[in-house]
Amino acid sequence: MIGAAYAAEEAGHGDGHGGGTGLPDPMHQFEIKRLINLDVFGFDASFTNSGLFMVIAAALITLFTLFAMRKGALVPGRLQSVAEISYEFVANMVRDNVGTAGMKYFPFIFTLFMFVLALNMLGMVPYSFTVTSHIIVTFALAAFIFIGVTIIGFWKHGIGFLKFFVPSGVPFVMLPLLVVIEVISYLTRPVSLSVRLFANMMAGHTMLKVFGSFVVALGLLGGWAALAFMVAFTGLELLVAFLQAYVFAILTCIYLNDALHMH
Amino acid sequence: MAGAENQSGRPKGGRGTETIRQRLDALEGKLATAHGRRPPPEEREGRGKAMGQALRLATEMVAGVAVGGFIGWALDRLFGTAPFLMVAFLFLGGAAGIMNVVRTAKAMQGEPMPGQHLRNATDDDED
Repeated sequence: MIGAAYAAEEAGHGDGHGGGTGLPDPMHQFEIKRLINLDVFGFDASFTNSGLFMVIAAALITLFTLFAMRKGALVPGRLQSVAEISYEFVANMVRDNVGTAGMKYFPFIFTLFMFVLALNMLGMVPYSFTVTSHIIVTFALAAFIFIGVTIIGFWKHGIGFLKFFVPSGVPFVMLPLLVVIEVISYLTRPVSLSVRLFANMMAGHTMLKVFGSFVVALGLLGGWAALAFMVAFTGLELLVAFLQAYVFAILTCIYLNDALHMH
Repeated sequence: MAGAENQSGRPKGGRGTETIRQRLDALEGKLATAHGRRPPPEEREGRGKAMGQALRLATEMVAGVAVGGFIGWALDRLFGTAPFLMVAFLFLGGAAGIMNVVRTAKAMQGEPMPGQHLRNATDDDED
């Protein structure tokens, strides 16, 4: 009996799932694997599973929108309705939060929303890889947005954009302190934006894995409770996948609004 | 067709506008009682919503302190004044974090949650 358990544990170690307790390692799913080794002037630019899923997401979005809109019918069918609803959804989001001046940036917000949504949803497919569960990916997205929005702000208002950091109606003595705090507050934007998406995705997928291993470990007798929880939690994770893509896009809109209109 | 009509207990030959109106009214009454049996949406979503808001406020606070600390650390390295600037900027970062939390909380009280907004938007699109 003990021998069998030990053998199972050893086997678990063999395929990289081993955590020492016999349960699969919940962090194993976030591992980056090199698919095609590439070395560009000393930089490791390998094509990884993360890159593969980004390509799949981009291809899926492109194919979906092109295929759904191939007829361009006046009375849309089912697929065309989905494409039109997602367009309207993002267009309304931009119009409500930035105003008509922001519609110039609609293509970017739409691409961003669809990309994050597709990555989050692809992560819900079993055996797939969740790209947005890596902070470097979400931080790169957030930093790009942050730098872009700051450039737009300076481009629209010139040096007057610096007034954004000066709160109105405070005593002159307090100004230096408050300006420093305002600047730090502005600099936290990319951090909180990226951490929110990354933390939600990673926590959710770790939970799924942990409870999935409970189902197996408790077996036919006790596994049902964990399985019921898994079903409910998968539904919640689908909601979170959508909600986080939405929050990411809407915060981009809010930041863009600050840059364009300065409150 | 006829079988289906008998099953649902409708009067035969109910094609007139009057009977259709009656059936619609009856259906609306049934829908209302069905809706009444379910708990109100706030109760169902209350916990998830509160968790999301709490997580958002927590990241806002932590991000302030982390960014403040990082700026202080970088300035210390630049001027060789370790650890004074880092200590000062940790506090400034905490202040920035609290300011962000207050701002986010204010925005939360004024606006409906993301999911609610979507449902209203899709409902409104139909009319």
